[in-house]
Amino acid sequence: MNLYGWFAMMLVISAVWLIWFLYRPLKGNILDLEKSNIALGKQKQAELEQDLQRDLIDESVFEQAKDEIAQVLAIEMTQTVTTVETQKPIAIWLSAMIVVFFSGASFFVYQALISQSITAQNAITAQTLQAQEPPTLAQSIVNIKKHLEENFDDEKAWRTLGLALFDANDLTQSLEAYERSYQLNPKDVTMLVEYASTLAKSQKNQFKGRVSTLVREALEINPDSPDALYLAGWVAINAQQLALAQMLWEKALSLLPENQADRASLQRMLDELAQIQNSNKVESQHQVVIKVVLPERLRQAEFKEHYLMVYIKAARGRPMPIAIQKIKLKDFTGTVTLTDENSVMPTRKLSQSSKVLAVVLLSQSGSAMRQADDIEALSQVIDVKDNPTVELKL
Amino acid sequence: MLPEIGHFALILALMATVLQVVLPSVGLWRGNFALTQLSKPLLWMQFFWILVSFALLMNAFLVDDFSVKYVASNSNTQLPDLFKMSAVWGAHEGSLLLWTLILSVWCVAVSIFSKRLPSEVLNHILIILGLISVGFLLFLLLTSNPFERLDIIPTQGRELNPLLQDFGLIIHPPMLYMGYVGMAIPFAFVLSSLIRGQLDSTWLRWSRPWTLMAWAFLTFGITLGSWWAYYELGWGGWWFWDPVENASFMPWLVATALVHSLSVSEKRGAFKHWTVLLAISGFSLSLLGTFLVRSGILTSVHSFAADPERGLFILVFLVIVVGGSLGLYAWRAHLMRSNNSFEPLSRESGLLINNILLVAAMLSVFLGTLYPLLLDSLGLGKISVGAPYFDAVFIPIMVPAVLAMALGGFLRWKKDKLDRVVDVTIHTVFVAATITLITYFAIDNVYVVLATFLSSWIVLHSLLLLAQRLRQKGNLGTAFLGMVMAHIGIAVFLFGATITTQYGIEKDIKMSLNESVEIEGYTFTFRGVSTLKGANYTGNKGMIDVAYQGEKIATLKPEKRQYVTGMPMTEAAIDPSLSRDLYVALGESLGAGAWSLRLYYKPLIRWIWLGGLLIMLGALLAAFDRRYRLKARRKS
Repeated sequence: MNLYGWFAMMLVISAVWLIWFLYRPLKGNILDLEKSNIALGKQKQAELEQDLQRDLIDESVFEQAKDEIAQVLAIEMTQTVTTVETQKPIAIWLSAMIVVFFSGASFFVYQALISQSITAQNAITAQTLQAQEPPTLAQSIVNIKKHLEENFDDEKAWRTLGLALFDANDLTQSLEAYERSYQLNPKDVTMLVEYASTLAKSQKNQFKGRVSTLVREALEINPDSPDALYLAGWVAINAQQLALAQMLWEKALSLLPENQADRASLQRMLDELAQIQNSNKVESQHQVVIKVVLPERLRQAEFKEHYLMVYIKAARGRPMPIAIQKIKLKDFTGTVTLTDENSVMPTRKLSQSSKVLAVVLLSQSGSAMRQADDIEALSQVIDVKDNPTVELKL
Repeated sequence: MLPEIGHFALILALMATVLQVVLPSVGLWRGNFALTQLSKPLLWMQFFWILVSFALLMNAFLVDDFSVKYVASNSNTQLPDLFKMSAVWGAHEGSLLLWTLILSVWCVAVSIFSKRLPSEVLNHILIILGLISVGFLLFLLLTSNPFERLDIIPTQGRELNPLLQDFGLIIHPPMLYMGYVGMAIPFAFVLSSLIRGQLDSTWLRWSRPWTLMAWAFLTFGITLGSWWAYYELGWGGWWFWDPVENASFMPWLVATALVHSLSVSEKRGAFKHWTVLLAISGFSLSLLGTFLVRSGILTSVHSFAADPERGLFILVFLVIVVGGSLGLYAWRAHLMRSNNSFEPLSRESGLLINNILLVAAMLSVFLGTLYPLLLDSLGLGKISVGAPYFDAVFIPIMVPAVLAMALGGFLRWKKDKLDRVVDVTIHTVFVAATITLITYFAIDNVYVVLATFLSSWIVLHSLLLLAQRLRQKGNLGTAFLGMVMAHIGIAVFLFGATITTQYGIEKDIKMSLNESVEIEGYTFTFRGVSTLKGANYTGNKGMIDVAYQGEKIATLKPEKRQYVTGMPMTEAAIDPSLSRDLYVALGESLGAGAWSLRLYYKPLIRWIWLGGLLIMLGALLAAFDRRYRLKARRKS
C-alpha cells in the first residue's frame, strides 16, 4: 500500500469511530451537579461529626461549622444551572459534515505543513520514493545553499554542502565548503575526516601534505575515531609504513561495532595488506648472521653489565649503522641475526644494502660513540644479498 | 514512509482534539446530548493517534532511520537499544511528543475514573484539557515536528548525549512529566468551575486526588533527578540550585501549597481564592518549567532568539494560559466569597501560614532563577545567582514552615486555645528540646543542631498524632496515614541533607599504584587502571579496594569513558548503604601509573531520596483515601 493508501485507511478508522459514537452516544454519568453537591454536603457533615469525635473541632464551634456547610450548600444550589439536554439523534447531514471536515481538514493541514519547509518537501519525496523519482542531488545542493544564505555561520550546513558537492563530484567547491566549515569549527572530527577524504581524492588519492595534517588533527581530538584511524592507515601506506598502517587499521577494526557494515571491507584490506607484507618478506628480505667469540676474560662477572653492540655499516660512505642490536653481555647467547627489523632508518633497510662491514663493539657505557676503553672487531667486506654468516673475535 | 504516517497520526490527533473542544461545546450550548457525549470518544481517538505517532518515532530510532532529522541528531547505530528508546525524549521535539502523550494519558484517566462527576462538569473539564492539548499539538506540528526529514541522509547519526545514556534518565523525564502534566488536571477542574460560575464542593472534592497524584509524580521525578545527578555527574552533589532543577522545584512548592489549600477548601469551604490561584500558578509554572528547560532559554538567552518562531509560540501560549485563566479568575472572583470564619489560632490559620511561606519560598526561587536571565536578555550584564543566595533566602523561609507543619495536625478547625495546644504537645516539645540539647553539647555545628531539632520535632509530633488517632480507635484513613508519612519524609530528607552537607568529606588526590588513603576509617587502595570497551565507547576502568578496620568491604570500579563522538564521561563507582556512601570518580592519568581521583564520604545521603520516596508514597496513600471511593461504592 502506498502512503496515501495508509492515510485513507487512517481516516476511515477515525471516521468509523466517530460515526459509531455519534449514533450510539455514551451514557452520561448518573449524577447531576445538584445531587452531587447535596451528597457531598451530607458527607462533609458526617466528616465534621467524625472531627468532633476526634477532638479536631471544638464543641462550641461545631454547630457553627455545621451551619456553614448548610450555607455553602445553599449557595451552591442557587448557582447551579441545570442544562436540559435533548436526546435527539444527530442529523445525517451534520454527521456527514463532521466526517468530511475531519478528513478534509486533516489532509489540508498535512499538505499545508509539508509545503512549508524544505525538509517537509523531502517527506513528500519519501512517500513517493517507491513510485516516483527521488530528489536530485542538485536540488539538495540548491536547498542547502539557500539555507546558508540566511545562516552563513552554520558550520554543519557547510559540512553537509561539502558532502553533497563531493557526491556531485564537484571537488573544488566541496573543498571550499569544507574549508569554511573548518574555519568555523576546526574541532569537528567528522568534518575533518570528510575534508581529508575529499582533499585526498582531489590529489589523486595521495594521502600526504594537508591530508596528513587534517587526519592528525582529527586523531588529536579523538584518538579512537575509527574513520580517522582508517585514513591515518592510508597516510601510513602513502609513506610506505605498512606495519604502522596495519596497526592503525587493526585498531579501527577493534573500535567498530560488531554489526557495522564497514568491518568486512576493513578486514579484507587488512588481509590484503598482510599478503603484501609477507610477499615483500619472501621476495626481498636478507639477513646477516654474526657469531661473536668472546675471550675468557670477558666472560667474567665484572663485564656482565657491559653492552655488546652488533651492527652492520656500509663499506663505503656514512659510518652510521644500517642495522643494529644492543644486548647486555649477560643476555648474550653467542650469535646475532640482523634483518630488516633491526634497520635504523625505515627508508634504508638492510636488504636494500649490498657491500657492508659487520662490527662488534663491547662498551661499558652503551653509548653509540666509541669510547676509549671500548673493544671493537670488524669483518671483511661482505655482501648482504648473499645472506652471509661471519665470525668475529673480540 | 512510516515517519510520514507518524506525522499524519499527529495531525489526526490534532483534528480529533479540535473536534473534542468544538462539538461538546456546541452540544453544551445547544443542549444536544449526542454532541456533548462525544468528548470521551474523541479524547480516546486523540490518545490512540498520539500513541501511534510516539510508537512510530520510537521505531524510527530502533531501526536507525537517519532520514529523520531528530533520529540522526540524537542516535547512532552503536547506541544500545534501550537508550535508542529513551533517546526519543532525549531532546526538544521528542520530549514534547512525550509531554503530549502523557497529557493524553492523564485525560483518558480522568475520563475513565471520574464516573461520579456529573457529565456536564466532566465534559467541561475535558474541553479545557482538549484546549491545552490543541496548544501542544500545534506547537509540535508547527515548530517542533519530530518527523522532519533530512535532505541528505547521513550514513551514521550523531551521539545521544552520554549523560542521557543511563537508566536514571530513562525514567526520570517521564516521571517528572507525569507531575508537570498532572498539574493540568486541577487547573482544568478550576477553569471549568470558573467558566460555569459554580465554584462548588464537587470540583474541590474530586480535584484533590488528582492533585495528590500529580504532586506524588512531581516528587518522584525530582527525587529521581537528584539521585541521577548524584551518581552520574561525578561531582557527588545531590542538588545544585541549577535553573533546570529550580524549574521543577517551583511547581512542586506551589503544588504542596495547593494540596494543603484544597484540604481547607474541601472541608471548610474557605481559601477558595488561594486554591484557584494556586491551581492556576501550579500549571503555569509547570508550563514555564518545561519550556524553559526544553527551549534552551536556561542555557543561553540567545537560543531563544535563535528560533524566533518557537520562542514566539511559547510566549503566546503562556500568555493565553496565564492571562486567560487570571482573566477568568477576575471575572468570577465575586462568587468565591465565603462566610466561613476562623480564629488566628486554628488549623485554617496554620494552613494559611503554610501557604504564605511556601509561596514566598517559590517566589524566592523564581527570582533567583529568572532575574539573571532577565538582566542578560536586557543587555544589563551577566550575574550569577547560586547556592549562597538560595541558602540565605530559601532556608530561613522554610524553617518556620517546618515548625508550623508539625503543629498543624494538633490544631482544631476554626478556633483553638493556646493552653490546650501546649498541653497536648508539651511532652514532645520537651523531648525534641532534650535531643537538641544533647546534640548541641556533643556536636559543635549549628546547622546539625538545628536540623536535629526540626527533624525530631516533626517525627515526634507525627508519632504523637498517630498515637492519638490509634487511641480513638477510629478508622485511621489512608489520607491521615499519607499525611504522617509525607511529614516524616520531610524530616528524613531534612536530616539526611544536613548531615551529608555538613559531614561529607571530599578529597581530590593523586594516587599511585597500591597507594592508600584513609577517610573516616575507610582505607581506599588504588589497584590500577585497565582499558574498557563498550558498545559505543572506550575508556579506562579504575580499581579501588576499600577496607574498613583492616577488612576489605568493597572493590569500586569507576570509569572514564570516551564516546565515539569524542565526548568524555565520568562514571562514578559507589558503595551505598543507608548510613553512608563511599563514592569514587576517576580523573586523569598523571603518568607513571598515577591517576587523579575524587573520593567522597557521604554520610546519610540515601536519606535524602528515602525522604522523597516517603513523601511520594504519602501522597499516593492520601490520593486513594476511602472518602474519594466511598461515593462510587454507594452509588454502585
